[in-house]
Amino acid sequence: MMREHYRQQTEGLHGAAWRELGSELLPWLRRLGRRRQRLLVGAMLLALTLGAAIGLLALSGWFITATAMTGTLLAAGVVARLDIYVPGGGIRFFAVTRTVSRYFERLYNHDTVLRLLADLRGGMFRVLAGLDAQVLSRRRASEWLNRLTADIDTLDSLYLRLLAPPAVALLAILVVTVLLGSFAPLTGGVVGLALLVLWVWLVVGQAWLGMDASRRRVATLDRLRGHLIEHLMGLGELRAYGSLSSHRQAILGEEDTLYRDQRYLGRVSALGNTLVGLGVGLAMLLALWLAALAYRGENLSGPLMVMMPLAVLALNEAFAALPVAFTQLGATRAAARRLNALERSSSAIIEADTPRAMNDDGIEWRLEAVSLHYPEALTPALDRVSMSLAPQERLALLGASGAGKSSVAMLLTRLLDPDQGRVTLHGVDLRELSLEAVRSRIGYLTQGTELFHDSIAANLRLACPHADDAELWRVLEMVELADWVEQLPRQLDTPVGEGGRQLSGGQARRLGLARILLHDAPIVILDEPFTGLDRSLARRISRRLDTWLSGKTVLFLLHQLDEERDASLGIQRALTLIQGRLEP
Amino acid sequence: MSPSTPESHDDGLTPRRWLAGLASRERRLLRLAVLCGVVVGLATMVQMGLLAWIVSALLTSGATLDELSWAFASAMGVIGVRAMAQWGYEVTAQEASLRIRQAARREVLGHLEALGPVRLAGRHSAGLGGQLVEQVEALDGYFARFLPQLRLAVVLPLTILVIVAWLDWLVAILLLLSMPLIPVFMALVGMGAERLNREQFAAVTRLAGHFLDRVRGITTLQLFNCTESATDEVYARADDYRRRSMRTLRLAFLSSAVLEFFASVAIAMLAIYIGFGLLGYIAFGPAPKLTLFSGLTILLLAPEFFQPLRTLSQHYHDRAAALGAADGLVALLSEPLPEHVGERSDQRNTDLAIAVGLVGVSVRHPGRGDVLGPLDLEVAAGETVALIGPSGAGKSTLLQLIAGFIDSETGQVYVDTGNGFAWMDQRPFLVQGSIADNLRLAAPYASDAQLLAALERAGLRELLASLPEGLQTSLGERGAGLSGGQAQRVALARIFLSPAPLVLLDEPTASLDEVSEAFVIEGLKSLAEEGRTLVIATHHPALMVMAGCVVRLSQGRIVTEQSA
Repeated sequence: MMREHYRQQTEGLHGAAWRELGSELLPWLRRLGRRRQRLLVGAMLLALTLGAAIGLLALSGWFITATAMTGTLLAAGVVARLDIYVPGGGIRFFAVTRTVSRYFERLYNHDTVLRLLADLRGGMFRVLAGLDAQVLSRRRASEWLNRLTADIDTLDSLYLRLLAPPAVALLAILVVTVLLGSFAPLTGGVVGLALLVLWVWLVVGQAWLGMDASRRRVATLDRLRGHLIEHLMGLGELRAYGSLSSHRQAILGEEDTLYRDQRYLGRVSALGNTLVGLGVGLAMLLALWLAALAYRGENLSGPLMVMMPLAVLALNEAFAALPVAFTQLGATRAAARRLNALERSSSAIIEADTPRAMNDDGIEWRLEAVSLHYPEALTPALDRVSMSLAPQERLALLGASGAGKSSVAMLLTRLLDPDQGRVTLHGVDLRELSLEAVRSRIGYLTQGTELFHDSIAANLRLACPHADDAELWRVLEMVELADWVEQLPRQLDTPVGEGGRQLSGGQARRLGLARILLHDAPIVILDEPFTGLDRSLARRISRRLDTWLSGKTVLFLLHQLDEERDASLGIQRALTLIQGRLEP
Repeated sequence: MSPSTPESHDDGLTPRRWLAGLASRERRLLRLAVLCGVVVGLATMVQMGLLAWIVSALLTSGATLDELSWAFASAMGVIGVRAMAQWGYEVTAQEASLRIRQAARREVLGHLEALGPVRLAGRHSAGLGGQLVEQVEALDGYFARFLPQLRLAVVLPLTILVIVAWLDWLVAILLLLSMPLIPVFMALVGMGAERLNREQFAAVTRLAGHFLDRVRGITTLQLFNCTESATDEVYARADDYRRRSMRTLRLAFLSSAVLEFFASVAIAMLAIYIGFGLLGYIAFGPAPKLTLFSGLTILLLAPEFFQPLRTLSQHYHDRAAALGAADGLVALLSEPLPEHVGERSDQRNTDLAIAVGLVGVSVRHPGRGDVLGPLDLEVAAGETVALIGPSGAGKSTLLQLIAGFIDSETGQVYVDTGNGFAWMDQRPFLVQGSIADNLRLAAPYASDAQLLAALERAGLRELLASLPEGLQTSLGERGAGLSGGQAQRVALARIFLSPAPLVLLDEPTASLDEVSEAFVIEGLKSLAEEGRTLVIATHHPALMVMAGCVVRLSQGRIVTEQSA
């Protein structure tokens, strides 16, 4: 098992790979740099704790040996003196310092890390919110959850696990080397070199062994989570078709992969921990041997000879955190890589630097030879489409699903930008106007109703944050939901469930419609507004809509006109899209 | 209906009891881990003893290095043994934890399956998925680290105490006195940390749910110009999480700080006591008998006396995390499985010609009262029944009742599900995998030719022809890549492939384009002609026309029942 992984490893990790690793982590290091001061204080606290631990053990050893030797002399009747107060005070000082600095170091550093995490989480959401509909719709599933929470969480290891501990360990090696070297240069030099070799292995070697498996681990967890969510969402169908157990087998297979890697990684970090024990133990013996040689050669006093192996022994603590952290380096790297790709995503909707003012009286919309091609689709979604929408006109855009109706709506609301051609509002390219201004003038009822796991009131208030309850009831009345909401125990505060699942399809649709009514924009796009509603209800609502729509510019997106249902919508003109082209 | 229904749990299933039950599954491995840990501890003691002995021999007996080479060699040997035992300890404990987590995940998943789709509908699937992944993984530290360390924290300090007592009984008494204080302190600290940790887990789950929810609806947020406030909200949630975490950590770190304090102060005190003893300043007790060897050994063993407890306190948050996770998981496990209040039978014990028979059934949702019934309904085998009525009238609930996803509070339900049944609603269920994988959900052994035939019947031949990889074309999560109509037609093709005689459909044509709608309606007609029984909740006139019987529902009751 180990050997098999080893072989995989030897192929890919050379200079170029390490450079790549550096460039992947660089943006995150820079981000950390913004809180440089906090990081520095944290690292200093870490070093202080470690220094106190080394000092405590080394000084205690020195003290006991010195007292023993003085005691022997005293017992033999020789006049000897030993200052016991300075070392005694030093020992107490180190003991208290170690405890206090350790507590505050841990608290301080964890707070730093969680602060960074909140920054990162908000920052990533901002990135997402600026992406266009094409990227979003492609990826809007459970993998996002991981990308944005787990990935960012994984990057917390960057400072607290991957930066500060090796730096502090290196510092500790330096301190021990100098401490030993100032009394016995050879001992200091040799032991320092041995410890340095151990350090290099713990940082580079462990990372090298664990790279692939730990990198894979995140992706496997992702897949496992995806499968599980799928399993729970599709429980009905899976149960109906009796395929529950075979789908479950797929989940368990994924779990097997996960645990195979975990087992391997556990062994690699066990190897690291074993090497720490072995390396520090042997370095301690080496220090003792060399110091004993110096002592026998009368170049070193007895107490100082004892101090040396004890100082080395205290380094156990400095190395303890390294093996696990560096074995998991690949996970951090994979997370960084994914987040980098997301941030560099080219499909951001770019806000105009100096947006032009918008003219509000009588807005005319125009699509000028617009083409749009989704990256993975076989045919263009829109092919040189030109059309216009006059002020206060009610236009119906007809076509089967996939004909390109939603694409037109997304272009008008700048959820997408065209590949070719322009979308203009009163002759001005949409890209030159402020995003906020464009969107605040349009109410767009999308094909699927997106409801949030929140109360009915909160879902409505998205459209108008300052609306009072009376206004909410008024729009609920218009879509005939008021009676239903009124008899719910919690009324407007009733939660709608994940994606509105606590509501029936028709109720969710009407709630979406109510939200558009509340938004009250001068331009309205309605995509199949009556989906899932029975005919008489649709007729009643459409009559009320007609009144509300008067004076507004309206674009209906419909599969086809339905004389009876749409009679009261006041549609003045209809265009038909067929596979991305307007019917002549 | 689930293939492996886990045995029902006692009412008193607590997180602690559940964890104990899991641990007893891997008792042998965990014991082996403890044994290795004891060897590590003993080897450390021998190593320290040898170190003190070498120093003492050099300084007090004036031994040469040559005379001591055997001692150096044995010290190397002991360090080697210690390393091997260390390796064994970690690997065994990890293996036990892996196996336990696997078993725990299976148990919870089995329970969720048995709960069924309707009972789960009110929960975040992502939250549940997260629980099954993250919370189960959060058990790791408890089994791999905390539990073995708990034993070591008893065995090793006691051993050291015995050795120290032999060297200097006064020191042993000092250590002994400090000992009972430690667990008391740790228990106090641990209890608080545990509760906070539970809260934190709930916060993490909520945070995950909130995040996915906001990302799913990001288009809506963009359209309403709410991205700024949503970003602030996301930041605020994360910051709230930080504050919660800090509260947990402040206490969790306190327990290790207490131990740190004991360990440091003990070393300092011992060093000074031993030093004064060696100088001959202490005339009472065993102090005058102290030597450099015994003094140095005590000094080196003192940190080792506290080390197992310090390690344990570092893993204390593993325990708290595991208990927090177990709390969430046990809450799922304690969710009562559907109680069969109303009678339900799947056997063909009555009339062969009856596919579905409901007598006096009713369904209530918590907080919403009766949503269905009481009502009676009989569907003959081979019949097509349309359920109509305003939205919210209980059509979906009635279908879910027939499917067995929920149970009736009263009356009797008889459903002939000898060969399974087929289910389709407005949200076609597609798994991440190839088109073939998706179709074979219904018919695992269907040949490619059969799959192609089913797709052709669903009007997907053109689409398939345009795909270079054909049946092996992979679909993203939940059918990404297909339009809504195409996805629904894949689900239809799946019904064609399934041998189920009973087909339950919830608004199968809602939000479909004309072409897809026509194919779905034609497909349903041909299913009816095959002699399958169809129960369709619908608003579509064409489906009402094809039905042999139209049942109108209003406020959960049957208003009219018309046979064509």
